[in-house]
Amino acid sequence: MFGSSKKILEIDLDSEEVRTRVLKADLYRTFVGGSSFAARLFVDYRGCESKPLQPESPLFVMAGPMVGTNFPGTSRFVVCARSPLTGIWGESASGGTFGADLKKAGFDGMVVSGKSRKPCYILIDDTVVSVVDAAALWGLDTYQTIDALKIQHKGNRPVRVMTIGPAGEKLVKFASICNDKAHYFGRTGMGAVMGSKNLKAVVVRGTGKVSIADEDAYQAARNVTLANIKETMIAASFHDLGTAAAMDMGMLTGDVPIKNWTIGEDYEMAAALGGPAIHEKILKGRIACFACPIGCKPVVEVNHGRYAVAKGPGPEYETCAAFGTMILNDNLKAVAHINELCNRLGLDTITCGSTIAFMMECYEKGLLNRNDLDGLELTWGNLAAVVAMVKKIAWREGFGERAAEGSQALAAYIGGAAAESVVTVKKLELPMHDPRAFHGLGLAYMNSNRGACHLQHSVQAVEQGMVSWPEIGFEDDYPATVSNGKAKMVCICEEIGQMANAVCVCHFVHWAMGFTHLLSGFNAITGYGFDVQMFLECGRRAWVLKRALNNIMGVRVEDDRLPPRVLTAVSEGGAAGSVPDQDLMRKQYYQIRGLDERGFPTPQLLKFSDLEFLQKPLASV
Amino acid sequence: MAKVDVFSDEWCKTWEEKVRASKVFAEYNKGWQGDIGCVMHKDPAANILEDQYLYLDFEDGVVNGIRMVDKETAENAKFVISGPYVRWKQVANKELDAVKAMMQGKLKLKGNLPYVVKYLKGVQEAIRCLTEVASRFPDD
Repeated sequence: MFGSSKKILEIDLDSEEVRTRVLKADLYRTFVGGSSFAARLFVDYRGCESKPLQPESPLFVMAGPMVGTNFPGTSRFVVCARSPLTGIWGESASGGTFGADLKKAGFDGMVVSGKSRKPCYILIDDTVVSVVDAAALWGLDTYQTIDALKIQHKGNRPVRVMTIGPAGEKLVKFASICNDKAHYFGRTGMGAVMGSKNLKAVVVRGTGKVSIADEDAYQAARNVTLANIKETMIAASFHDLGTAAAMDMGMLTGDVPIKNWTIGEDYEMAAALGGPAIHEKILKGRIACFACPIGCKPVVEVNHGRYAVAKGPGPEYETCAAFGTMILNDNLKAVAHINELCNRLGLDTITCGSTIAFMMECYEKGLLNRNDLDGLELTWGNLAAVVAMVKKIAWREGFGERAAEGSQALAAYIGGAAAESVVTVKKLELPMHDPRAFHGLGLAYMNSNRGACHLQHSVQAVEQGMVSWPEIGFEDDYPATVSNGKAKMVCICEEIGQMANAVCVCHFVHWAMGFTHLLSGFNAITGYGFDVQMFLECGRRAWVLKRALNNIMGVRVEDDRLPPRVLTAVSEGGAAGSVPDQDLMRKQYYQIRGLDERGFPTPQLLKFSDLEFLQKPLASV
Repeated sequence: MAKVDVFSDEWCKTWEEKVRASKVFAEYNKGWQGDIGCVMHKDPAANILEDQYLYLDFEDGVVNGIRMVDKETAENAKFVISGPYVRWKQVANKELDAVKAMMQGKLKLKGNLPYVVKYLKGVQEAIRCLTEVASRFPDD
């Protein structure tokens, strides 16, 4: 088996026992790796039967078959578990170098179960694996923890560290995991899952080599792919401007949410917060993930003032919107400062910013007042109050205890009209891309297996025209604000997205390299010889598997819906007057995807996807 | 409306007038510095036997001129957009969004990208004006 060591670690924190599980080649090939393979293992480890944050609820850290090679963009790895925020399948992906080192240490991934009696971390030094006391680290922020562990385990090659901050320790439902400071598992609260196990960090150093099936084909595919990437404007845009270019470009189409999704356009804010603004005002350099020819991650510095930021990882687009346009803040330095704060505390900036925007709207409408908020005046753009609330959330202090549950749970607590201001799908706050501007994206939000997400598929890249893949049957252009006829494209994009998260390739690099180059590299590494159809079938299998798991965990047809806020048109901007027709899209999608009236995969679809073993558990719910 | 032959002086002049007449071009391009060269690659099948070079002279919201130029002038502009004739035709006929075309590699941009992104609205407005020109193409 190439591209894989055939081994995963099984670590039981109740007993601190470490075992190695040898993988069956056909199982790994069928489910490919990454979040797809984690979902398959979730069945074996009876993940649906444990409530989120229960000790027995399994936590998966998985790389993919291309990770650890130097094929462009293959730095990613995933963390998966039942989400404490949504109660359903949770997954989050990150880049950096950790995933490559995990593979080079000789493991495709690890499964952590149980709960340590005291704070601990897992040390993987090539094939030597141990559970180590972390009492001295508990309570430290993520940057402090990483610095301490890198010093403690200094060697000829640096260790890679993924860690939680205070928010994860306090089981904040949207706690993130920090990976070598610059990279994050933000979504679905995977940091809280680590915290629930008293697991502060995982440290890895790998010095081995990942096996490749056909070295000559691999080198040829890599060279062509690199040349292709360098020619693209996607690469130039991400390198020169980072993801924050989406602020400037998105404002043209009505993609950027403003004031908790109530305003459609604000070019002055885009100019203050977008890619060129970062470039001109605070940028000090760029960081590239392992094997990445683009290097999109900004390094920023704010030397003095209230919002000083030490030279380090800067805000991505999602953070510029969540703590910028969403809360009516046009102060870029403040965004960078809050970004660093969330990084250190270990908070997902999307859910955190969205929850604060929701609270601001409640404050404006009189649903929350100063007394509720521990004396804070949470008015739009009040940055001092935002900084204070972020800290309260991370430490679960005062009203932060409520806000730490996420916006949907908070709305239930506030009651009354608060629910109208919540913008979630399946309890996950929408990422900072407006489905009123891209209707197919709205459909993908409705069906995404981790709740509203723009990185479980490639729909927006297609609707935006960033990519065009005629080789897999896509039309040249998909009018963004049309709902009818989007379902087939969305299905294929979901399959592509599932495969990106299975092989663990960066979506952005993947868009730049194109579909066929990814497939060439995949085949050269694994030796599987997949054609396009086989590749997409694996993607479909991954989607259907996660869907079935979610059905078992309670997802039904009524959960496949967009929140009322984005079904209300804005009156200005590129998406003015546009509203997705969710009923039409759902109907067309269910038919093409093969879901029944309850939103369950049909027996035919399960059979077609080699998932018949799920028939029985699905029938019993 | 009578059609005008593309790449002719009259065609350039018509486009230029459309940009001058735009109510928002000056606002969107306020502060813009830098000329733009456009290179349309030859396409014998479409009866375009030589590469065509176009020059857009915009400065701080002012339209100094749009004209056909020689290779050197176009390629030495601060920003150069190049691509097959058929793509340019699609852009002019409003069948292809120029920004999408650049993202998809159908057209290529050479120059300072952050600067261009800052003025995207202005770029789009200039192209919108082009789509208002009744253009006659050699292969029509």
